[in-house]
Amino acid sequence: MYRRHTFFRGLWRHAIMLVFLVFALFPILWVISASFNPANTLVGQSLIPRNASLANYIEVFTSEQYPIALWIKNSVVIGLITSTLVVVMTSLAAYAFSRFRFKGRREGLFASLLVQVFPQMLAAVSIYLLILSIGKLIPSLGINTHAGLIMIYLGGAMGVNAWLMKGYFDTIPTSLEESAMIDGASPFQAYYMIILPLARPILAVIFLLQFIGTYSEFILASVLISSSDKYTLAVGLQLFIQDQYASRWGVFAAASVLGALPIVLLFMFLQKYLVSGLTSGAVKG
Amino acid sequence: MKRVTTMLVVLVLALSISLPVMASVPGELLIWSDGERAPILNEVAKQFVIEYGVTVRIQELPFGDIRDNLAIVAPTGEGPDLIVGAHDWLGQLVTDGLIDPIDVDDESLFLESGLEAFTWGGQRYGIPYAIEAIGLIYNKDLAGEDGFQSFEEMIELGTKLRDEGKYALVMPQPDPYHTFPFFSILGGYVFGMDADGVLDPLDVGLANDGAVEGFELFEYLMDERIMARATPYDTMMSLFQNGNAAGMITGPWAFNDVRSAGIDYGFQQIPSYKGQYGRPFLGAQGFMMSAFSENKMLANLFLNEFVATKDTMLAIYEGDPRPTAFLPAADIINEDPDMRGVMESAAEGIPMPAIPAMNAVWTAWSDALELVINQQSAPRPAIENAVQLIIQTIEDSGY
Amino acid sequence: MGKIIKGAFLGIVNVVFIWIALYLLGAEAYLVFVLLLLGALLTNVIFLLPRAYPYRYLLPAAFFMVLLVVYPIVYTVYISITNYGTGNILNKEQVVAQFESKYTLEPNSDSFAFQTYRDPQGDLWFLFTDSLGGQLVGHDGELTHLREDDPLLRQLAGYTELSRVDLVRATNELSSQSFAYDDTHELRMRNINAFNLYLQQYSYDRERDVLLEVQTGIVYTPEDGYFRAPDGTHLTPGFRAVVGFGNFRRLFGNPQITGPFVSVFIWTIQWALLSVGTTFVVGLFLAILLNDPYLRLRKVYRSLLILPYAIPAFISALIWRGLFNTDLGIINQILQATIGSSVPWLQDPFWAKVALIILNLWLGFPYMMIICLGALQSISAEMYEAAVVDGATAWQQFRHITLPLLMVSVAPLLISSFSFNFNNFSVIYLLTRGRPPIVGAQTPAGHTDILISYTYRLAFESGRGIDYGLASAVTLVIFLITGAITFFNFRFTGALEDVNKNV
Repeated sequence: MYRRHTFFRGLWRHAIMLVFLVFALFPILWVISASFNPANTLVGQSLIPRNASLANYIEVFTSEQYPIALWIKNSVVIGLITSTLVVVMTSLAAYAFSRFRFKGRREGLFASLLVQVFPQMLAAVSIYLLILSIGKLIPSLGINTHAGLIMIYLGGAMGVNAWLMKGYFDTIPTSLEESAMIDGASPFQAYYMIILPLARPILAVIFLLQFIGTYSEFILASVLISSSDKYTLAVGLQLFIQDQYASRWGVFAAASVLGALPIVLLFMFLQKYLVSGLTSGAVKG
Repeated sequence: MKRVTTMLVVLVLALSISLPVMASVPGELLIWSDGERAPILNEVAKQFVIEYGVTVRIQELPFGDIRDNLAIVAPTGEGPDLIVGAHDWLGQLVTDGLIDPIDVDDESLFLESGLEAFTWGGQRYGIPYAIEAIGLIYNKDLAGEDGFQSFEEMIELGTKLRDEGKYALVMPQPDPYHTFPFFSILGGYVFGMDADGVLDPLDVGLANDGAVEGFELFEYLMDERIMARATPYDTMMSLFQNGNAAGMITGPWAFNDVRSAGIDYGFQQIPSYKGQYGRPFLGAQGFMMSAFSENKMLANLFLNEFVATKDTMLAIYEGDPRPTAFLPAADIINEDPDMRGVMESAAEGIPMPAIPAMNAVWTAWSDALELVINQQSAPRPAIENAVQLIIQTIEDSGY
Repeated sequence: MGKIIKGAFLGIVNVVFIWIALYLLGAEAYLVFVLLLLGALLTNVIFLLPRAYPYRYLLPAAFFMVLLVVYPIVYTVYISITNYGTGNILNKEQVVAQFESKYTLEPNSDSFAFQTYRDPQGDLWFLFTDSLGGQLVGHDGELTHLREDDPLLRQLAGYTELSRVDLVRATNELSSQSFAYDDTHELRMRNINAFNLYLQQYSYDRERDVLLEVQTGIVYTPEDGYFRAPDGTHLTPGFRAVVGFGNFRRLFGNPQITGPFVSVFIWTIQWALLSVGTTFVVGLFLAILLNDPYLRLRKVYRSLLILPYAIPAFISALIWRGLFNTDLGIINQILQATIGSSVPWLQDPFWAKVALIILNLWLGFPYMMIICLGALQSISAEMYEAAVVDGATAWQQFRHITLPLLMVSVAPLLISSFSFNFNNFSVIYLLTRGRPPIVGAQTPAGHTDILISYTYRLAFESGRGIDYGLASAVTLVIFLITGAITFFNFRFTGALEDVNKNV
């Protein structure tokens, strides 16, 4: 599909990229601008603030009341653990959906997707009550624990993720597994040693999506986490814009910019998995 | 297999992080506070430990979350002993059974209107620390040293400023809270009051003749370009900060932003119209006690002896300047002309209704404002339709 | 080896099950206990029966899904038949306990100063002094009037007197003490300095399940979540009670619902379709370009293009609101400078919808782009090589190879994305809040309100405050609609059918 470009074809592509880059980055430049703007406004009059300063960033790193660096760390740890577990659980489920035929398979697939589109308006209340009672049994999984929060996020392992992964598994030829199983491998070994390595791109996608989703979730986290040193970044950020009229946009923007960095770093790290794999004949069936 | 093992170890480690849960514990106080008050309360808590050896923990939450989370958390017994909050939460929190009355040792220390705002069914449910009301911030370079006496005066100046592309007035739009003075100026009200001072949710006075006349003034100001049209809070603020507006209807929270823009400003109450003053909503903030507290006596003691003191109240004021509701601290605060202005404006204020039926008012009211701002409807039909909707909604829910 | 691991695993799981089961029995949570037993049985069957082998792979994900996704749904169903909402959030026991603990201070009654002593057994003794100097000793709920030189005084002197600091630390113990002063009054702690006379306000009769107001003798009977007096008035707080299908009746019998329902529904469908369509087309287009190994700087492009997804949606929405601002927004400033006119973005019904689609495109295209980037990897290069040999154009390659193969994994996702946007309350709320309003509407409704934002107003802006019961009923009805649409989408696209493997 792809071949080496002539100069003009290449140029044409870069022009399109540029258009979308402007669209994607323009609002972000405003966030960055606000983070350097001491005037505390999101509707800055100019993209380059008049007396730009690092004051907001300094506050982010020095504030005792708001340990933002700690919150970012919490978010990253929770995000990494959650995403890892979700990828493991999802790939197991997707493997079953893709490779086995069993009763309730289609219904299960459909149901797992359907429950995810349920409008979760009362989720915060019900999940709080649930985690509270779990916490009475196992305190380390109760409210105000990161483990409890991670557990909640694992609820999303099925659904869209499983579908996406199942669809990908479906396109991997079964011939490799079949020959492995003739050699005496169990289905689990086939999954672990053949499917997973081949499915790296989709594992990376699910990992990334789950990480971003977890990283920016704040409704459940703000109900369940009750001490400032355990806040996630998304919960902590709410503290800056809590007052309708006296929000601290500058610090908020600075923290948002810093908070976006882990996601960008993770993406850059995952890129090589994201666009690798099957493209150049890794599977020769 | 090695990676699986590593992962399991990580998982087990994560699960074993078990730290004490924050909840109302007998013999210890837990306070839910917003960010502005939290550092001050932490200092007060230190004194309490020194004096009595009793631990007070402060948990910081976004202001609005305090009310919402209380309804989820308190009934399970995991909630706080005390909360920081606004007086207009009272109706909901009391009818929910989430807060208990507070025994105020010496009522003479507090501003009457502040205590009144925290009163429900004849009982005090809070110790107020601040009251607030909106007023008019004016740019002395445009509006003169003394601001505006009346809207008539403002219209006169506005017709001149219009030619320079400037406005005599800006305000957040559509925003019922800030627009209320236009409705109250000639006799409109939200809920009528019966002889006992109890609000009647079926008597909505936002479309009476006085209210409509005030609303028509609001429309006139925009039509004549005396007032900027369709300005959200941020837009309003930047117009004022850039010197393009002579007056801005807003509250004490705006002082910092105005000051930082280098505007020479003053604060006054809402100007008069046809000789009558526009009355803003009066709001109060204070401390309330959870009905599920295990330490009510201790919480009472903490409030009466450690919070209701001149030092604490001054510290609260310095952390977030709003007119204090604590009289012994008022003298010092009154030396600040800004605060004196807010105080005077608040003296004219009408307490914002705290009854739960208020939930049915805001959106319908805001929609009526927006239709007029967008020039899609005249004031009278817009607000009459809104009031009809409000009453219908309230009736539907069983009044 | 495998069998040992399996056995050990099952053993541990069963131990955990038994442990939880015992706890549940102790807590008398029988329903959960039965559910747990079923779960335990299922787990064992799955692991012991070879025929159930595939289910083992589903177990972990299904467990968490049932616990954390299905449970809230069940909870919502339960709430929809209750009156849960402002005024009715506590359960009946909690409300009764609150009424039982209500005391009124006897007006104008005497205030008693007190000294507190602890005897060697650790029990508390009180010495009360009224304003006239009269003294009483209180211990274990009983009061004794003191005469002069009462031997009790000497007895007290032998005990340890509590200092003020001790008193503060013991406030919970102190405030739980009450002494019968006469037939109606109780002497109770008022604050750290004094005890006062109090009257109990209510007493609860467990047998008859009624609440009695002690002073007036009025009997309150529980009915529909409130304790009601014979004259129809009721006490607050009320409690949570099952009210049957009342919420659903209110929903369907409400003239406000039937008002602008059709126009809201049409916009909801348009919104969901356009949201999915725009994000997918842009996401796929970019993914195909970025998948090109010969495109220079593609790593940089990719990293920059996911940035919109890395910024929390609530802050992006605020930024966009500023950009769309009619007077000061940069978009209008640019339009003004280039084409000489500006657009009333958030005031005009049509442009408000356009603004929403633009915002959602910005928020959503990186998601689609990442997914397509991943999914494109499953299409092997040989396919294209073969196509090129056959002389296929780029468009033909896309149409006949890329798109069908991509759809294998992406089609269900598009359907779920449609359903998600159908109920995407937050984007609507963050940018327009459903505004601009419809002129002369029968209910507060806006041009950009989608079904869920429109109906939730009934529940969150009701005359009684927040009405979770009604909100849950709304949720279920909307879920039925969404579910039906999703189901037909699957049937229509065939996404549920088994796809051809090894195409």
